[in-house]
Amino acid sequence: MTSLPEKVRNWIGTPVVTLAPVMTVDQGLWLNFCVAVEDGNPLYWSRAGDTEGSEPIAPPAMLPSWMIDHEWSPEPDHVPLRTLEMHFMLKDELDLPFGVVTAVDLEFHEPVRAGDRLRAEQILLEVGDEYQTRMGPGRRWSIAVHYYHQNDTLAGIQTLHFVSYRKEEQQS
Amino acid sequence: MTDAAPRPAAGDKLPELAISITRKKIIMGATSSRDWQPIHHDGEWARERAGLPDIIMNNYTQAGWLSQYLTRWGGPQARIARMRFSMRSPLCPGDEALLCGEVDSVTAIGDFDWVEISLSIKVGERVATTASARLALPGAEQQSSPWALSGDAWRP
Repeated sequence: MTSLPEKVRNWIGTPVVTLAPVMTVDQGLWLNFCVAVEDGNPLYWSRAGDTEGSEPIAPPAMLPSWMIDHEWSPEPDHVPLRTLEMHFMLKDELDLPFGVVTAVDLEFHEPVRAGDRLRAEQILLEVGDEYQTRMGPGRRWSIAVHYYHQNDTLAGIQTLHFVSYRKEEQQS
Repeated sequence: MTDAAPRPAAGDKLPELAISITRKKIIMGATSSRDWQPIHHDGEWARERAGLPDIIMNNYTQAGWLSQYLTRWGGPQARIARMRFSMRSPLCPGDEALLCGEVDSVTAIGDFDWVEISLSIKVGERVATTASARLALPGAEQQSSPWALSGDAWRP
Protein backbone atom coordinates (compact mmCIF):
# COMPACT_ATOMS: atom_id res chain seq x y z
CA MET A 1 0.00 0.00 0.00
CA THR A 2 1.29 3.44 -0.95
CA SER A 3 0.02 6.42 0.98
CA LEU A 4 -1.67 9.26 -0.79
CA PRO A 5 0.09 12.64 -0.87
CA GLU A 6 -1.59 15.18 1.42
CA LYS A 7 -2.21 17.46 -1.55
CA VAL A 8 -4.31 14.75 -3.21
CA ARG A 9 -6.09 13.83 0.03
CA ASN A 10 -7.18 17.45 0.32
CA TRP A 11 -8.74 17.33 -3.13
CA ILE A 12 -11.18 14.56 -2.20
CA GLY A 13 -14.79 15.63 -1.83
CA THR A 14 -14.47 19.26 -2.86
CA PRO A 15 -14.95 20.95 -6.25
CA VAL A 16 -11.29 21.58 -7.02
CA VAL A 17 -11.93 22.36 -10.70
CA THR A 18 -14.78 24.69 -11.63
CA LEU A 19 -15.58 25.45 -15.24
CA ALA A 20 -17.37 28.52 -16.56
CA PRO A 21 -19.61 28.14 -19.62
CA VAL A 22 -17.64 27.54 -22.81
CA MET A 23 -20.50 27.71 -25.31
CA THR A 24 -24.23 28.18 -25.81
CA VAL A 25 -26.24 24.99 -26.36
CA ASP A 26 -27.46 24.88 -29.95
CA GLN A 27 -29.87 22.53 -31.72
CA GLY A 28 -27.83 22.50 -34.92
CA LEU A 29 -24.90 21.06 -32.97
CA TRP A 30 -26.92 18.41 -31.20
CA LEU A 31 -28.63 17.28 -34.41
CA ASN A 32 -25.18 16.34 -35.75
CA PHE A 33 -24.94 13.98 -32.79
CA CYS A 34 -28.44 12.60 -33.47
CA VAL A 35 -27.36 11.87 -37.03
CA ALA A 36 -24.22 10.10 -35.80
CA VAL A 37 -26.21 7.74 -33.58
CA GLU A 38 -29.27 7.60 -35.88
CA ASP A 39 -31.59 8.92 -33.18
CA GLY A 40 -34.88 10.20 -34.57
CA ASN A 41 -36.45 11.07 -31.20
CA PRO A 42 -38.89 13.93 -32.00
CA LEU A 43 -38.06 15.62 -28.70
CA TYR A 44 -34.64 16.40 -30.17
CA TRP A 45 -35.75 17.11 -33.76
CA SER A 46 -38.84 19.28 -33.26
CA ARG A 47 -38.41 22.93 -34.12
CA ALA A 48 -38.58 25.59 -31.43
CA GLY A 49 -42.14 26.93 -31.31
CA ASP A 50 -43.69 23.88 -33.02
CA THR A 51 -45.53 22.90 -29.86
CA GLU A 52 -46.41 25.52 -27.30
CA GLY A 53 -44.75 24.90 -23.97
CA SER A 54 -42.59 22.12 -25.35
CA GLU A 55 -39.25 23.32 -26.63
CA PRO A 56 -36.88 20.73 -28.11
CA ILE A 57 -34.34 19.25 -25.73
CA ALA A 58 -30.74 18.25 -26.27
CA PRO A 59 -29.94 14.52 -26.19
CA PRO A 60 -29.10 13.79 -22.55
CA ALA A 61 -26.10 11.70 -23.58
CA MET A 62 -24.50 14.89 -24.89
CA LEU A 63 -24.49 16.56 -21.49
CA PRO A 64 -20.68 16.47 -21.01
CA SER A 65 -20.09 17.72 -24.56
CA TRP A 66 -21.35 21.19 -23.73
CA MET A 67 -18.43 21.71 -21.36
CA ILE A 68 -15.63 20.68 -23.73
CA ASP A 69 -13.60 23.74 -24.56
CA HIS A 70 -13.18 24.98 -28.11
CA GLU A 71 -10.14 23.46 -29.77
CA TRP A 72 -9.35 26.80 -31.38
CA SER A 73 -10.27 30.37 -30.55
CA PRO A 74 -9.75 33.75 -32.24
CA GLU A 75 -8.08 34.81 -29.00
CA PRO A 76 -4.36 34.39 -29.72
CA ASP A 77 -3.54 33.41 -26.13
CA HIS A 78 -6.31 30.82 -25.85
CA VAL A 79 -5.11 27.48 -24.52
CA PRO A 80 -7.92 24.89 -24.59
CA LEU A 81 -8.83 23.49 -21.19
CA ARG A 82 -8.16 19.79 -20.84
CA THR A 83 -11.48 17.93 -20.96
CA LEU A 84 -11.24 16.46 -17.49
CA GLU A 85 -8.65 18.62 -15.75
CA MET A 86 -9.04 16.85 -12.38
CA HIS A 87 -7.99 13.56 -13.98
CA PHE A 88 -4.89 15.13 -15.53
CA MET A 89 -3.98 16.79 -12.22
CA LEU A 90 -4.11 13.38 -10.55
CA LYS A 91 -2.06 11.70 -13.26
CA ASP A 92 0.60 14.37 -12.89
CA GLU A 93 0.60 14.37 -9.10
CA LEU A 94 0.74 10.57 -8.76
CA ASP A 95 3.12 10.00 -11.68
CA LEU A 96 0.66 7.72 -13.45
CA PRO A 97 0.70 9.05 -17.02
CA PHE A 98 -1.67 6.55 -18.66
CA GLY A 99 -5.34 6.39 -17.79
CA VAL A 100 -8.35 4.54 -19.15
CA VAL A 101 -12.04 4.98 -18.36
CA THR A 102 -13.46 1.72 -17.05
CA ALA A 103 -17.04 2.77 -16.34
CA VAL A 104 -19.27 5.81 -16.69
CA ASP A 105 -22.34 6.75 -14.65
CA LEU A 106 -24.71 9.36 -16.03
CA GLU A 107 -27.54 10.81 -13.97
CA PHE A 108 -29.89 13.22 -15.70
CA HIS A 109 -31.86 15.99 -14.03
CA GLU A 110 -33.23 19.24 -15.53
CA PRO A 111 -33.20 18.87 -19.36
CA VAL A 112 -30.84 20.96 -21.46
CA ARG A 113 -32.34 23.19 -24.15
CA ALA A 114 -31.12 25.52 -26.86
CA GLY A 115 -29.75 28.74 -25.40
CA ASP A 116 -28.60 27.16 -22.14
CA ARG A 117 -25.13 27.93 -20.89
CA LEU A 118 -23.90 25.23 -18.51
CA ARG A 119 -21.15 25.36 -15.94
CA ALA A 120 -19.48 22.43 -14.22
CA GLU A 121 -17.64 21.33 -11.11
CA GLN A 122 -15.21 18.42 -11.00
CA ILE A 123 -15.01 16.55 -7.70
CA LEU A 124 -12.56 13.80 -6.84
CA LEU A 125 -14.59 11.10 -5.07
CA GLU A 126 -11.97 8.51 -4.16
CA VAL A 127 -8.49 7.25 -4.92
CA GLY A 128 -7.60 3.61 -4.35
CA ASP A 129 -4.36 2.17 -3.07
CA GLU A 130 -1.55 1.58 -5.52
CA TYR A 131 -1.55 -1.92 -6.96
CA GLN A 132 0.11 -3.82 -9.78
CA THR A 133 -1.85 -3.56 -13.02
CA ARG A 134 -0.96 -5.64 -16.08
CA MET A 135 1.00 -2.67 -17.43
CA GLY A 136 2.71 -1.55 -14.23
CA PRO A 137 1.92 0.19 -10.93
CA GLY A 138 -1.45 1.89 -10.95
CA ARG A 139 -4.41 3.17 -9.01
CA ARG A 140 -8.15 3.41 -9.47
CA TRP A 141 -9.99 6.67 -8.94
CA SER A 142 -13.42 8.18 -9.51
CA ILE A 143 -14.32 11.73 -10.46
CA ALA A 144 -17.81 13.25 -10.47
CA VAL A 145 -18.68 16.16 -12.73
CA HIS A 146 -21.74 18.16 -11.71
CA TYR A 147 -23.34 20.16 -14.51
CA TYR A 148 -25.46 23.18 -13.65
CA HIS A 149 -27.79 25.42 -15.61
CA GLN A 150 -27.37 29.19 -15.63
CA ASN A 151 -30.00 29.39 -12.85
CA ASP A 152 -27.98 26.87 -10.77
CA THR A 153 -30.44 23.97 -11.14
CA LEU A 154 -28.68 20.66 -11.58
CA ALA A 155 -28.61 19.39 -15.18
CA GLY A 156 -26.88 16.13 -14.39
CA ILE A 157 -23.96 14.28 -12.88
CA GLN A 158 -21.35 12.29 -14.76
CA THR A 159 -19.15 9.99 -12.71
CA LEU A 160 -16.10 8.52 -14.39
CA HIS A 161 -14.16 5.57 -13.03
CA PHE A 162 -10.53 5.27 -14.12
CA VAL A 163 -7.55 3.01 -13.89
CA SER A 164 -4.31 4.91 -14.33
CA TYR A 165 -0.83 3.42 -14.44
CA ARG A 166 2.78 3.92 -15.39
CA LYS A 167 4.57 1.43 -17.60
CA GLU A 168 7.25 -0.56 -15.79
CA GLU A 169 10.12 0.97 -17.75
CA GLN A 170 8.83 4.47 -16.95
CA GLN A 171 8.97 4.14 -13.18
CA SER A 172 10.79 7.09 -11.71
CA MET B 1 -43.63 1.00 -27.73
CA THR B 2 -46.86 2.87 -28.48
CA ASP B 3 -49.86 3.86 -26.38
CA ALA B 4 -51.52 0.57 -27.35
CA ALA B 5 -48.51 -1.56 -26.45
CA PRO B 6 -48.61 -3.68 -23.30
CA ARG B 7 -46.86 -2.27 -20.27
CA PRO B 8 -43.35 -3.54 -19.67
CA ALA B 9 -42.70 -6.40 -17.29
CA ALA B 10 -39.61 -7.95 -15.77
CA GLY B 11 -38.09 -10.40 -18.21
CA ASP B 12 -39.21 -8.54 -21.33
CA LYS B 13 -36.51 -8.49 -23.97
CA LEU B 14 -35.91 -5.38 -26.03
CA PRO B 15 -35.72 -6.01 -29.79
CA GLU B 16 -32.08 -6.36 -30.80
CA LEU B 17 -30.47 -3.57 -32.78
CA ALA B 18 -27.64 -4.33 -35.21
CA ILE B 19 -25.06 -1.63 -36.00
CA SER B 20 -22.35 -1.94 -38.62
CA ILE B 21 -19.58 0.13 -37.08
CA THR B 22 -17.70 2.11 -39.67
CA ARG B 23 -14.83 4.55 -39.47
CA LYS B 24 -17.29 7.26 -40.51
CA LYS B 25 -19.72 6.40 -37.68
CA ILE B 26 -16.96 6.52 -35.07
CA ILE B 27 -15.58 9.84 -36.32
CA MET B 28 -19.05 11.38 -36.69
CA GLY B 29 -19.84 10.40 -33.10
CA ALA B 30 -16.57 11.75 -31.73
CA THR B 31 -16.68 15.07 -33.56
CA SER B 32 -20.37 15.73 -32.93
CA SER B 33 -19.84 15.06 -29.23
CA ARG B 34 -16.87 17.47 -29.42
CA ASP B 35 -14.31 14.83 -28.42
CA TRP B 36 -11.03 15.54 -30.18
CA GLN B 37 -8.92 12.77 -28.66
CA PRO B 38 -6.86 11.20 -31.48
CA ILE B 39 -7.82 7.63 -30.56
CA HIS B 40 -11.25 8.44 -32.00
CA HIS B 41 -10.14 9.74 -35.41
CA ASP B 42 -6.47 8.95 -36.08
CA GLY B 43 -5.89 5.27 -36.84
CA GLU B 44 -2.10 5.52 -36.91
CA TRP B 45 -2.05 7.30 -33.56
CA ALA B 46 -4.48 4.75 -32.08
CA ARG B 47 -2.37 1.80 -33.24
CA GLU B 48 1.14 3.09 -32.68
CA ARG B 49 0.75 5.37 -29.67
CA ALA B 50 -2.13 3.81 -27.75
CA GLY B 51 -1.62 0.17 -28.74
CA LEU B 52 -5.20 -0.16 -29.93
CA PRO B 53 -6.30 -2.19 -32.96
CA ASP B 54 -7.69 0.95 -34.65
CA ILE B 55 -9.72 4.04 -33.75
CA ILE B 56 -12.35 3.28 -31.12
CA MET B 57 -15.87 4.54 -30.48
CA ASN B 58 -15.83 7.13 -27.68
CA ASN B 59 -17.90 6.82 -24.54
CA TYR B 60 -20.24 9.72 -25.46
CA THR B 61 -21.18 7.99 -28.71
CA GLN B 62 -21.76 4.71 -26.91
CA ALA B 63 -24.04 6.56 -24.49
CA GLY B 64 -25.84 8.02 -27.50
CA TRP B 65 -26.42 4.62 -29.10
CA LEU B 66 -27.63 3.15 -25.81
CA SER B 67 -29.93 6.13 -25.31
CA GLN B 68 -31.49 5.85 -28.76
CA TYR B 69 -31.88 2.09 -28.24
CA LEU B 70 -33.79 2.69 -25.01
CA THR B 71 -36.08 5.41 -26.34
CA ARG B 72 -36.66 3.57 -29.63
CA TRP B 73 -38.16 0.86 -27.41
CA GLY B 74 -39.79 3.06 -24.78
CA GLY B 75 -40.99 5.83 -27.09
CA PRO B 76 -40.10 9.52 -27.04
CA GLN B 77 -41.86 10.09 -23.72
CA ALA B 78 -39.48 7.61 -22.09
CA ARG B 79 -37.16 9.69 -19.96
CA ILE B 80 -33.79 8.25 -19.05
CA ALA B 81 -32.94 8.93 -15.44
CA ARG B 82 -29.66 7.11 -15.09
CA MET B 83 -27.29 5.07 -17.16
CA ARG B 84 -24.14 3.17 -16.23
CA PHE B 85 -21.88 1.47 -18.69
CA SER B 86 -18.57 -0.37 -18.58
CA MET B 87 -16.45 -0.55 -21.68
CA ARG B 88 -14.81 -3.96 -21.58
CA SER B 89 -13.33 -4.04 -25.07
CA PRO B 90 -13.18 -1.44 -27.85
CA LEU B 91 -15.62 -0.94 -30.70
CA CYS B 92 -13.63 -0.48 -33.92
CA PRO B 93 -14.32 -0.04 -37.64
CA GLY B 94 -15.58 -3.28 -39.15
CA ASP B 95 -17.25 -4.52 -35.99
CA GLU B 96 -20.79 -5.81 -36.40
CA ALA B 97 -22.31 -4.77 -33.08
CA LEU B 98 -25.56 -5.99 -31.57
CA LEU B 99 -27.40 -4.06 -28.85
CA CYS B 100 -29.45 -6.23 -26.50
CA GLY B 101 -31.55 -5.41 -23.47
CA GLU B 102 -33.81 -6.98 -20.88
CA VAL B 103 -36.17 -5.46 -18.35
CA ASP B 104 -35.04 -6.27 -14.81
CA SER B 105 -37.88 -4.65 -12.88
CA VAL B 106 -40.81 -2.29 -13.18
CA THR B 107 -42.04 -0.18 -10.28
CA ALA B 108 -45.20 1.90 -10.56
CA ILE B 109 -44.91 5.21 -8.69
CA GLY B 110 -47.72 7.68 -9.16
CA ASP B 111 -48.53 8.05 -12.84
CA PHE B 112 -45.29 6.49 -14.01
CA ASP B 113 -43.53 3.18 -14.45
CA TRP B 114 -39.89 3.24 -13.39
CA VAL B 115 -38.06 0.59 -15.37
CA GLU B 116 -34.63 -0.92 -14.71
CA ILE B 117 -32.98 -2.45 -17.76
CA SER B 118 -29.77 -4.42 -18.35
CA LEU B 119 -28.04 -3.78 -21.65
CA SER B 120 -25.07 -5.01 -23.63
CA ILE B 121 -23.23 -4.30 -26.84
CA LYS B 122 -21.78 -7.49 -28.32
CA VAL B 123 -19.58 -8.18 -31.32
CA GLY B 124 -20.11 -11.85 -32.06
CA GLU B 125 -19.40 -13.64 -28.81
CA ARG B 126 -17.33 -10.74 -27.49
CA VAL B 127 -19.04 -8.43 -25.00
CA ALA B 128 -17.78 -4.93 -25.76
CA THR B 129 -19.93 -3.00 -23.29
CA THR B 130 -22.26 -3.85 -20.45
CA ALA B 131 -24.74 -1.29 -19.17
CA SER B 132 -27.74 -0.67 -17.00
CA ALA B 133 -30.33 2.06 -17.16
CA ARG B 134 -33.27 3.43 -15.22
CA LEU B 135 -36.00 5.21 -17.10
CA ALA B 136 -39.46 6.52 -16.45
CA LEU B 137 -42.36 5.70 -18.75
CA PRO B 138 -45.92 6.99 -18.81
CA GLY B 139 -47.94 4.63 -16.59
CA ALA B 140 -51.19 2.79 -17.18
CA GLU B 141 -53.23 5.92 -17.81
CA GLN B 142 -50.73 7.19 -20.40
CA GLN B 143 -51.76 10.76 -19.63
CA SER B 144 -48.69 12.24 -18.03
CA SER B 145 -45.20 12.58 -19.44
CA PRO B 146 -42.22 11.87 -17.21
CA TRP B 147 -40.65 14.92 -18.81
CA ALA B 148 -42.99 17.01 -16.66
CA LEU B 149 -41.41 15.65 -13.46
CA SER B 150 -39.05 17.88 -11.52
CA GLY B 151 -37.79 18.43 -8.00
CA ASP B 152 -38.39 15.60 -5.56
CA ALA B 153 -40.75 13.84 -7.99
CA TRP B 154 -37.85 13.13 -10.34
CA ARG B 155 -35.92 10.21 -8.90
CA PRO B 156 -32.86 9.31 -10.96
